[in-house]
Amino acid sequence: MLHTENLAVGYGERAVLREVSLHVRPGEILCLIGPNGAGKSTLLKTLMRELPSLSGSVRLAGRMLQEIPQREFAKSCAAVFTGIPRTELMTCGELVAMGRYPYTGRLGILSDEDRRIVRESMERTETEELAGRDFACISDGQRQRVLLCRAICQEPKLLLMDEPTGFLDLRNKLKFMQLLRKLAAEKKIAVVMSLHELDLVRSFADSVVCVHDGRADLSDSPEELLSGESIRRLFGIEEELYRLWKRGAAPEAQAEGENPSLSSGTPRDKIQSAV
Amino acid sequence: MTGRRRITFVFLTAALIALAFLNLFAGSVKLAPADALQALFSRGDSAVAEGIIRNIRLPRLLAAALLGGALSVAGFLLQIYFNNPIAGPFVLGISSGAKLLVALSMILCLSRGIALHASGMIAAAFCGAMLSMGVVLLASRVLRGRGMLIVCGVMIGYICSAVTEIAVTFADDANIVNLHSWSQGSFSGIGWQEIGTAADVICAALAGTVLLAKPMDAYRLGEAYAQSMGVRIQHFRAGLIVLSSILAACVTAFAGPVSFVGIAVPQLMKALLKSTKPALMLPACFLGGGVFCLFCDLLARLLFAPTELSISTVTAVFGAPVVIWTLVKRRRE
Repeated sequence: MLHTENLAVGYGERAVLREVSLHVRPGEILCLIGPNGAGKSTLLKTLMRELPSLSGSVRLAGRMLQEIPQREFAKSCAAVFTGIPRTELMTCGELVAMGRYPYTGRLGILSDEDRRIVRESMERTETEELAGRDFACISDGQRQRVLLCRAICQEPKLLLMDEPTGFLDLRNKLKFMQLLRKLAAEKKIAVVMSLHELDLVRSFADSVVCVHDGRADLSDSPEELLSGESIRRLFGIEEELYRLWKRGAAPEAQAEGENPSLSSGTPRDKIQSAV
Repeated sequence: MTGRRRITFVFLTAALIALAFLNLFAGSVKLAPADALQALFSRGDSAVAEGIIRNIRLPRLLAAALLGGALSVAGFLLQIYFNNPIAGPFVLGISSGAKLLVALSMILCLSRGIALHASGMIAAAFCGAMLSMGVVLLASRVLRGRGMLIVCGVMIGYICSAVTEIAVTFADDANIVNLHSWSQGSFSGIGWQEIGTAADVICAALAGTVLLAKPMDAYRLGEAYAQSMGVRIQHFRAGLIVLSSILAACVTAFAGPVSFVGIAVPQLMKALLKSTKPALMLPACFLGGGVFCLFCDLLARLLFAPTELSISTVTAVFGAPVVIWTLVKRRRE
């Protein structure tokens, strides 16, 4: 669905990332991980066409990204941006229906078909009961589901998301990712998203790309990457901090007076037991 | 459409009609409603009554409704553009810029003995509006914060008003008396020809605004989302600027600068509708602006009759508290 070759992204002349080669198939979730400021958002913005690419190529469903007319692009690619948009007196139903923007006519009047898709998307994302509520007056977890619902209404082939789970609590993070996983598989949507929660990456990503030091590398074995020493190198975590983190990840072990070990009590096990 | 929205529109339409009749019946010359209606609909016995109703009160109330509506739609567009609830053609200095150029071109034409056609006045006003707008847009790139932009607009307004006053003071012509009341803002002295021209321009601009309602709706989620849904941001923003300038210019050309309508009416409509959806806000602003200006013009004519207040005096009394209320409400949220 999405293929990039030798892509360089950045602002103005300065390349933040070079030689980016991403390949995402329909229904797959690709997660971008890496330290703050490494260029995850820059890469996403380039894929959203918010920034022009500096060199290389991006193909979406076989077509060069920059050659797709704007309206058609909006029909094939939807976005959930980082942070929550500040709205004024806007109901969730109105917000979700905006997803039909590229499909409606000049006056933006919804057809029966549009209404059906909006209704179905709201059912899928369990947001029907929010339809009449003000978007500014619901919880963060609900808001993020509404934003996802809007993106789904756009019927995209590619869904781009920048840290969609950043400010959610653990349950809402898991719920959001589970929903995303299901929708991506059912609707054959290719998903590219940046995530900071490594546990979520491990549980929900089909492929993982590490963004660091001006490069974006596909990880051959996400399992190994996320549990081992490479994470420490990727994020440039100091030896001491890393030990601290690992100890924090296995507090039971410590309480029993055992040595903190790297193999037991990974964050993922903890999450699963918590759920 | 929910009950609240329907009630709002019914209320606005009823208020518009009621105020139109009040404006027709009331005035410094006492006319019984029956006589007034007779003068309006048939060849009445009294030529005086006919003249007052057909050539003074009727054009004046139409002007107030039409120009008031246009002004509040212009304010609504500017609020969207600047993402600022207290932006409006008056506080941003756009009305004053238009006023300056209209006054200058009128003085120029009068001194050469040429009567300025209504469309010429609109063109001059549009140039003035775009000039002020250009300065505000440049300032908005440099200035951080919404408040600073408004202060900048108010300053532009003062400069333009000062230059206008100077020009009016030094121009020697009998028509200056007219010019003076116009430069304070007034719906009086607008004839049928002017109303015709204004209606054409305003209708065209409103049609353009209706076409922008869809991107305006998407823009409520912010620029990034709007763009990702297929809004051409540059075109859209240029459209907002041009349309709001045309509307504000048209009002200023005929009624002079009218304060606070552009800010207060959209805020009131938002509170009535409990929605910011442009498809609802645009018609509500147009109707509401008409109602607001008919009401204010009625007071301007009647309060100290036969002396007339300038329309801005009355709109400020009712509009400024709305602005304060808007700011306080924001702060509390």
